[in-house]
Amino acid sequence: MRDLVQEVTNGVVEHEREQIVPLLREALDGGTEPAALLQAMTEGMGKVGELFQEGEYFLADLVLAAEAMKEGLAVLEPVLAGESREEKGAVVVCTVKGDIHDIGKNLVASMLGSVGFHVVDLGVDVHEDKVVAAVREHRAVAVALSVLMTPMVPSVSAVVSALTAAGLRDGVKIAIGGACTTPELATKLGVDAMGRDPFEAVEIFESFSKAAASTS
Amino acid sequence: MSARHERVLAALERRQPDRVPTMDVMEEISNIYAILEKRPTPLGFLFTNRHTSKVIDLACPLINRSGVMDAEMDRFSYDRTAAAVKMGYDAAWVMHVPIWQFRDSKTVEDIYGRQYDVVVDDQGNLATPMYRKGLITSLDDWRSWDKRAILEMPQKANKVFSRIMRDFGDEIFVLSSFLYGLFENTWMPMGFERYVRALRTNKDLLRRMIRFYEDHYCMMLHAVAEAGVPAVVYTDDMGARSGPMMNPRFFEEFYGPSLRRIVETAHSLDMKIIIHSCGKVYKLLPWFADCGFDGVHALEPTAGVELAVAKQMVGDRLCLLGNMDITHILVDASKDEVFEAVRQSIEAAGQGGGYIIAPTNSHQTMSIQRLRWMLEAVEEYGVYEQ
Repeated sequence: MRDLVQEVTNGVVEHEREQIVPLLREALDGGTEPAALLQAMTEGMGKVGELFQEGEYFLADLVLAAEAMKEGLAVLEPVLAGESREEKGAVVVCTVKGDIHDIGKNLVASMLGSVGFHVVDLGVDVHEDKVVAAVREHRAVAVALSVLMTPMVPSVSAVVSALTAAGLRDGVKIAIGGACTTPELATKLGVDAMGRDPFEAVEIFESFSKAAASTS
Repeated sequence: MSARHERVLAALERRQPDRVPTMDVMEEISNIYAILEKRPTPLGFLFTNRHTSKVIDLACPLINRSGVMDAEMDRFSYDRTAAAVKMGYDAAWVMHVPIWQFRDSKTVEDIYGRQYDVVVDDQGNLATPMYRKGLITSLDDWRSWDKRAILEMPQKANKVFSRIMRDFGDEIFVLSSFLYGLFENTWMPMGFERYVRALRTNKDLLRRMIRFYEDHYCMMLHAVAEAGVPAVVYTDDMGARSGPMMNPRFFEEFYGPSLRRIVETAHSLDMKIIIHSCGKVYKLLPWFADCGFDGVHALEPTAGVELAVAKQMVGDRLCLLGNMDITHILVDASKDEVFEAVRQSIEAAGQGGGYIIAPTNSHQTMSIQRLRWMLEAVEEYGVYEQ
């Protein structure tokens, strides 16, 4: 007998984007609980993360796995709407003003969405005022800023200053990522963390979420 | 052969020169003006001013046809070389990329099928535009893409590098570059997400593009060899911060044979050829060596690349170039920090030759003073005992 839940996990791990949607539909039609399928996909992404960190998977594999995950979530979200999911809060994600690189930003957004964050993706070349407005509107617990090149680093500072000026900085954690970022730069800019890859980003935002939950 | 040429060649051949050579890495336009003490012509402000930008929106077809962009690019490559000579580098990576056409005042497209945002620096210079997306989404798009401008590239390169070699060839070791290797020239015109899907579902498109650009690159090599250029930088960013952008097995499968032909062509024309790739490239270094490249540039410290590790891995097969940090050391570090970074790099990779010190890349906030300190420090720490 086929184990469709396991096949869904394998579909994400093997980033079989074309197969994931029919598999999910077949499983749902057969009566499998949506929550179990979501869990299967999340486990698949977890395995992708392990393979990535072991050096077996590469950026291209992440892109395909994230696409499989995204398409799978589009199938599951309507049927999950009535079920309670762990509430991890909203994260505002963007590439900062002056910078339009989006591969890393898109991956982080996909990964955060796949583990249950409500992702507010503002896109690329985003002015700090838009970040402030999104944090306020969505009551975001955190902000993820992507910056590839050193000349755009001041745009990170602009976001930090704008959030501070708006009185929102104390309630929101900020993490940065991108080719030019270093832990030293994160300290210098007054942000809370720096992530080297999308999976480290997930760990960072999970820790932010847990810290917020423990203090609330 | 000048002392500078001998120094650079020795390092590229992994022999011990008299001292560690230095290489300039494609200075940005604002620094070139500053080094040459030229007044910038802030044409870029015309693109950002809300009144003049409307005129440019209308005049783009005229600008594109007028040849003014090509002339600017020729001048820029020439001035880049002049600036490197004035700074006192042993070698200069000189890029010549007459590939851009304005779509409007905000957007540039290139002849390879990429779309960029126009970038204007603080001084009003038109800086390197920023890639936004690809314009080739299918085999039909590729077949119908107008390739005439691509086929004119060798002639343009020959013209400008002939002039550069005539005026500076004795003073500095020129490494010519014409932007974009085969990997970037296939993924960027379609966007990375579409590209990774094509690896599985549209291999025909990829193979056709790769074959076309392999032939194109070989023509470019002939063009710059005829101009007297002694070396080429094959630029192809294959690495991200986490490692190779895709499985090295795919790089070999799709690009390996083409890269070997490109390297063999360069060598048959008596040119050295080095590869530039950003990112954490440890897993690609042996492959670069297998492909026959003479050296590898970037070796980014912010991506976690350590020179000593690279030296141990492939120091007997590849000359190492770069590794000078451009996020802090060559931007806002103290003189002591710059000197210490140079000392550490030379200690890690300089032993026995096979290392050329250089920034890992360039951007407009790099400090000319820090670059000068880097060159001073090489004189202090980089001299080999004969």
